[in-house]
Amino acid sequence: MTTVLYLTRRVLQALAVILIVTIVVFCLLHALPGGPARGVLGVSATPVQIAAFNQAQGLDQPLPVQYLRFLGRLLTGDLGTSYTLNEPVSQLIQERLPKTLVLTGLSAVLGLVVAIPIGMWQAARRNGAVDYTVTALAFVFYSTPAFFLGLVLIVVFSQQLPWLPSQAPSGNTLAEVFQDPAGLVLPVLTGALAMIAVFSRYMRASTLENLQEDYVRTARAGGSSTMTILRRHVFRNSLTPVVAMLGYYLPVLFGGALVTEQLFNYPGMGLLFWNAAQSSDYPTLLGCVLVISVATVIGTLLADVAQSLIDPRVKADRA
Amino acid sequence: MTKPRRWALLTGAAIAVSALLAGCSGGGTAATNTNSDEINYALPANFTPNWILPIGTAAHLNTNNGSIAQSLYEPLIAYDGSTGKIAWNKKGSVATAADFASDGKSVTVTLGDRHWSDGKPITSRDVEFWYNLIKANKAQWGSYSEGKVPDNWTSFTADDDTHFTITFDKAYNSDWMLANQLSLVVPLPQHAWDKTSASASVSDADRTTDGAKAVWKTINTAAGKIADYDSDPLWKTISGPYGVKSFTTAGKVQLVANSKYDGGQKAQIKTVNLLPFTTADAEANAVRSGEVDYGYIQATDLDQKDSFTSKGYDVEPWTGWAITYMPYNFNNPKMGAVFKQDYARQAVQMSIDQKSLSKVVFNGTATPTYGPVPQAQESDYVSSAQKDNPYPFSTSKAKALLTSHGWTEKGGTMVCTDAGSGASQCGEGVAAGTKFTMQVLSQSGSSVTDNMMSAIQSSLAKTGIGFTIKTAPVSSVLSQTPTCTSDEDSCDWDLSFFGTAGSWYFPAYPTGEALFSTGGSANFGSYSNKQVDDLVNATTTSTDSSAVQDYSAAVAKDLPVIWLPSPDYQISVVKQGLTGFDQDSLANFHPAQWKWSK
Repeated sequence: MTTVLYLTRRVLQALAVILIVTIVVFCLLHALPGGPARGVLGVSATPVQIAAFNQAQGLDQPLPVQYLRFLGRLLTGDLGTSYTLNEPVSQLIQERLPKTLVLTGLSAVLGLVVAIPIGMWQAARRNGAVDYTVTALAFVFYSTPAFFLGLVLIVVFSQQLPWLPSQAPSGNTLAEVFQDPAGLVLPVLTGALAMIAVFSRYMRASTLENLQEDYVRTARAGGSSTMTILRRHVFRNSLTPVVAMLGYYLPVLFGGALVTEQLFNYPGMGLLFWNAAQSSDYPTLLGCVLVISVATVIGTLLADVAQSLIDPRVKADRA
Repeated sequence: MTKPRRWALLTGAAIAVSALLAGCSGGGTAATNTNSDEINYALPANFTPNWILPIGTAAHLNTNNGSIAQSLYEPLIAYDGSTGKIAWNKKGSVATAADFASDGKSVTVTLGDRHWSDGKPITSRDVEFWYNLIKANKAQWGSYSEGKVPDNWTSFTADDDTHFTITFDKAYNSDWMLANQLSLVVPLPQHAWDKTSASASVSDADRTTDGAKAVWKTINTAAGKIADYDSDPLWKTISGPYGVKSFTTAGKVQLVANSKYDGGQKAQIKTVNLLPFTTADAEANAVRSGEVDYGYIQATDLDQKDSFTSKGYDVEPWTGWAITYMPYNFNNPKMGAVFKQDYARQAVQMSIDQKSLSKVVFNGTATPTYGPVPQAQESDYVSSAQKDNPYPFSTSKAKALLTSHGWTEKGGTMVCTDAGSGASQCGEGVAAGTKFTMQVLSQSGSSVTDNMMSAIQSSLAKTGIGFTIKTAPVSSVLSQTPTCTSDEDSCDWDLSFFGTAGSWYFPAYPTGEALFSTGGSANFGSYSNKQVDDLVNATTTSTDSSAVQDYSAAVAKDLPVIWLPSPDYQISVVKQGLTGFDQDSLANFHPAQWKWSK
C-alpha cells in the first residue's frame, strides 16, 4: 500500500512538473521578439503572407488563449503541425523517436554489457597493469568529444578501409533501419565507447567501495573465492549507483544523441529538437520538450523504483 | 550453473552483441554508384523535401521543393540559368512563344503540342485553371506580392486550345513580365485536379471564387500528406520529365523518368535519388566515401580539393544570381540619424575590403559585389558605376571623410564633435558626443561568416568605427530585425546579416521593388529615396532597356545597405562523367539535363 501511495504521489508530482515545463517553455518561446513568421517564411515573405501565417497558426491570438488551445489539443493527442516540415508533430515524433531509441538503446546496451564486467574486473585487479591500462583508455574515450570520435571512426572504417558506410540507415521505419544493419555499426560504436568509459568508472568505484564492506570480509573469512564474492554479493550492491545513473540517462535516450545524429546523417529526436529551435518551429519544439519532460520524469521514477528493488534500505527510507 | 559458466555467459553476451554489430558489417562496403541509369544527388544540408505541388504557401515554396515540383510539372515559361545564361529555356517550357502587344499591355502565349502523362493534351484551360486558383487564393500563395501577379493581370482569354491572351492593368517592361511574372505560371491538370473535395468529381469549380478556394484547399490538403505522394492518383497526372517513385517523410526522394513525357527535355538518367543530409559534414563524409554522385563541399574544404579530384570528382563552383548585404536600420533612434548621412555610409563602405574578404575568408568562392545587381555572372544589367566600385577600400580615406564632417577620433572611436547640418558638420539629427559604433545581429552557424565579421570589425576599427557582433540562428535574425518605426521597442537594431548563403536571390530580372523601394516587403531598414523609387518603378514598366542599369548605378552610389561579397550558392563536387548541364544560377536543379557520358 505504501508503494502504491508513493507511486501515486510521484505520478501526480510528475504531471505537475510537466505542466509547469510546458508553461515555462511556451512563455519563453513567445517572449522571443518578432515571432516565428518571418523566420519560417523567409526573407522574401510579404506582410500579407506573414499576416496569413499568423492567422493560420493562431499566433494573432492573446498568449493565454494560445496556451489553452495548445493544452486542449494536447488532451486529444494533437501536438499541432510543424511549421517547416509539413507534418503533424505527433507523426514526426512517432517517426523519429523509435529511430533514436534504437540508436541510443543499442549504444546503451552495448556500453553497459561491456562496462559492467570491465568495471568489476578493474576493481578486482585494482592498481595492476590492466587496471591502469583500462583506466587510461577510459579517460581517453571519456575526454574525446563524440563528434571527433565519430569522425575518426568514419575516416578509418569508411574512407581508409571502406568496410562500413559513413551514414546510418536512411529508412523511415524500424524495419527499413534494420535492413541496413551495417549502417548502425559506427554510430552505435560512437555512442557506446563514451558510455563504456563513463559507466566502467562508476562500476569500478562502486565495486571498490563494496569490496571494503564488512560483509565481504565475512565472506572471505568463510572461504568464498573472489569470483564468488563478486558475483554473489558485490555485483548486485555495486549496481545501485549505476541504476540511478541509468534513470537519469533515459531523457538522453529520448532526447537523442544530437552529435551522433548529425555526424551519421540519422534524423532522430535530437536533430528534430535542434532544428526546431533553429527555425523557430514552435509546435515541434513544444512537442520535443514534452517528450523529454515525460522521459525525465519517468526516468527518475524508474530509477527510484529500481533502486528500491535492488536495495531494501532505500524502500525503508521512503516508508 | 557453475561460476565459471555464468561468467562465460556474461562475457559471451558482451561478445555476442559486439559481434552482432560488427558482424553486420559484412558486405557493408561503402556504396558507389556504378549504374548509369541512376544518380545520387545531395540535397542541401538540413533540408527535407516536403512539397511537390507547384503552388502553395511561402513555407513550402522554397527553391529545392520548387526544383522537384518543376521536374514533375513543367512550367509555362522556364526562365532560368540552366542553359549557361539566364534566359528562356524553351526546351523545358510548355509555351513555345510569347508575343507582347506593341503597347506593352497584353501578351499572347502559344502552347506547344504537349500532353499530360495520362494522354490528355495540355491546353489553355490548364493555364486558366492555375490563374483562377491563384486569383482566388493569392494571400496564401507563396509567390504573391501586392501589385504583382495576379493583381496586375486584368483578364485571361483562351483564344483556342493552344493560345491564350493575358491583359495587364498598364504597360509593362516585356522582359520583366516574361522573366519575373509569366515564369511563375505552371499549367496544372484541370481535368484531374478541379475537385472541391477528395471525393468530388471533376468540374469547372475553379471558375467561381468559392469553387477555386475549395479546389485550392483540396489539393493543398492532399499535398500535406507526404506519405501518399507515391500512391495518390492525384500526383500521377504529370507533365514533367520525372514522376515520383518514392517520397519518404525523412526526405529521401526517388524520381523515375516519365515515359509519356513529350517535351524537349527528356530524362537521360532513369532514376534520380535525392538524398537528404542532416549537416554539411555528414554530406562531405558521404562524398568522401563515394556515396554521392553530385554533392557539395564547404569553402573551408577547398584546401583539400585534390582529395576530391583523386576520388573521381570535379570541383565546380555554382554561382548564385544573388547579392549579399547588411541593411542599416535607418529608423534606429540612436544611430538612424548617422546612417542617414551619405558620407557616413560611404565611410563604412570604404572600410570593407571585399576583394580580400573574397580571396582570404571565402577562399575565392565569393564575388565582390558593389551594388544591387548580381556580379558573379556577366549580364547586361550591371551599370559601369556599380562594376567599377564607387567606393574602393581605403580606411585612411574613410577616416578623412569622417573627420571632414565633424567627427574626431577619441580612444580609437570616432565621436561627433561638431554637430549641425552644415557641409563640414556631422549632419542633421546627429547629436554632439554621438559615438560611431554599430552592432550587427549576424547569422550563426558558419565559421566563414564569423571570420568575415571579425575581418570587418578589424577594418572598421582602423577607420575609427566601433563594430560589435551578436549572433543568432537565421530565423531569429530575421525575426529580431524587422521593419520598424523609431518609437517601437523592436527598433533597437543597427545592422542585420542573414546572408551566409547569399542575402537575396533574384528571379531572372533583377529588380529591387521588394528590397529598396519605400515600404518594400524586404526593405527591413526602412530605406527611402524618391529617385530610387522612380528608378525601381521604371525597371518594371519602362520599355527602355537601360532602366535596370540606371537603377543599378543609383543604388550602388546611394548605399542603402553595406555591400558585401556574394558567396557561391554551392561548391559542387560532381562525379567525372556526369555531363549535359550547367548549374542554374537561380539555384534550381534540373535532373532531366543530367546524363552519364560513356
